[in-house]
Amino acid sequence: MKVGDIACGRSGDKADTLDLTVVAVGQEEYARLAEFLTVDRVQAELNRVMPGTVQRYVLPGLLALKFVIQNALPGGVYASLHAGLHWQKAAIYLLLDMDMET
Amino acid sequence: MSGTDDRIVRTIACGAGFAGDRTDPAVKLAESGQVDTIVLECLAERTLVPGLRARRRDPGSGADSRIERRLMPILQSPASSKCRIISNFGAANPVSGAQRIQRLAKDLGRSGMRIAAAIGDDVRHLADRIAWDGSIEGDLLGAHAYLGTSGIVEAVENQADIIVTGRTADSALFAGDLLPYLDGSEDAFAGAIAVGHLLECSGQLTGGNFEAPGLPPLGSSDLANLGYPIARVFADGTAEITVIDGSPALINRLTCTLQLLYEVHDPSAYITPDLVVDFSGVSIEEIGPSRVRVSGARAAGRPARLKVSGFVDRPGAISDVEIAFAGRGALDRARRAADVLRLRLAHLPEQDLRIDLVGLNSVLGAASRAINSEPPEVRVHVSAKFDDAGDAQLAEDEVYALTLSGPAGGCGVRSEQRPRLEVVNGYIDRELVKPSVEWSNIP
Repeated sequence: MKVGDIACGRSGDKADTLDLTVVAVGQEEYARLAEFLTVDRVQAELNRVMPGTVQRYVLPGLLALKFVIQNALPGGVYASLHAGLHWQKAAIYLLLDMDMET
Repeated sequence: MSGTDDRIVRTIACGAGFAGDRTDPAVKLAESGQVDTIVLECLAERTLVPGLRARRRDPGSGADSRIERRLMPILQSPASSKCRIISNFGAANPVSGAQRIQRLAKDLGRSGMRIAAAIGDDVRHLADRIAWDGSIEGDLLGAHAYLGTSGIVEAVENQADIIVTGRTADSALFAGDLLPYLDGSEDAFAGAIAVGHLLECSGQLTGGNFEAPGLPPLGSSDLANLGYPIARVFADGTAEITVIDGSPALINRLTCTLQLLYEVHDPSAYITPDLVVDFSGVSIEEIGPSRVRVSGARAAGRPARLKVSGFVDRPGAISDVEIAFAGRGALDRARRAADVLRLRLAHLPEQDLRIDLVGLNSVLGAASRAINSEPPEVRVHVSAKFDDAGDAQLAEDEVYALTLSGPAGGCGVRSEQRPRLEVVNGYIDRELVKPSVEWSNIP
């Protein structure tokens, strides 16, 4: 099972900070996600392709988790050498495609 | 115009969520007769830059080039006379934007309109009093503070029909319209900011840029005609979010939660110029098809400083070049082309050169899934930074040279150069920033 089987998500950015939102499809799924998507696990996944340290926020009332990664996008979106601007809008798939232990 | 529930004090809509957004949704909103105010959010972080460059060439320019294209079809609709329009399409020169609108209105026989420019965001002259997060070495094109609601509220209280701003917090474009109709409490203000934050990205709230497990995505025709969001707002700042009757949309707990938290850092302290807002206790209830009720945003203080975006042109340029390979062995030839380019551009610092294979790894890089079949075509993408703009042509030349001296069949070269523009955040003491309103008259 992948994170994206029980959640949806979206990436955003402000200057060199990346933010990722994951929303669970239900209460039980939220509990599993909150247990699986630890700071360490998320940071290890994201650091494959970007620098920065992860800050996690839990939002049980909204069944959501929020990850904020400062300095992930050095120089901001416009200094990026990725093919095309705003590559980071796809960064949420780094989390949605993670395999969860079953 | 307040729908069926007489406790609704104001109905506000988002007719555009970025500078290049579709123009027809706002026209449909205006013609519906169901909304009091349409906000056109047209100024992303970077979108000020074309305006700043234009204003530097001609001090009378600098507003969004699309103003007339957006407004003409709205103002031509008779129903629009009942609708207020608020937009940050004033970009780097709201006063000039307001003057252009005045001329357009006159041409359309609507010269009685009250058009206000909310200004004061330009703080470039205060650059040395801004606490910058990074270096502003280079050419500081501009520095603009994020304004709050004050100018918009003043314009609303003086019966403005159209309000033009430059850099203003997106949520304030909405909250500024709502505030005079609310109960005066700080939590109602927080609710209005939440409404603005939810609506500001247009289709992203109504089913665009969205997929969720177990939910069929909106079809192509629905996405092509996607309804943009409206909020029916109560005096306490709670709101019902929906679209005008009959518009295709998907609005539910998931779409609204994603947008509520979009580009928010600490959800218990979302910092806006007027207010820090706590979103952690927000409740999103599904109350009908594509209809939700949002409540529970709380005020959590007022920030002492305003955020500033600085735009710095660093010396040099960035070159982006692509070349395609197709047919048998395309992937192998593309990989070898990339190897040749790494050898030819080996003199560039490692961090200033990036070579990707489009279709394989150009977006998620090393985290891309492995492919297990031969692609019919591959594009090699090179981006390189040069400290001297005069050297930037080299990347294109080296890629073109592959067509004669590289692996077989290189084709389809495309190339562009861009400035080394960087956005640097800063913070300024709010007392130094002086928002004001100018009413437009044809000069």
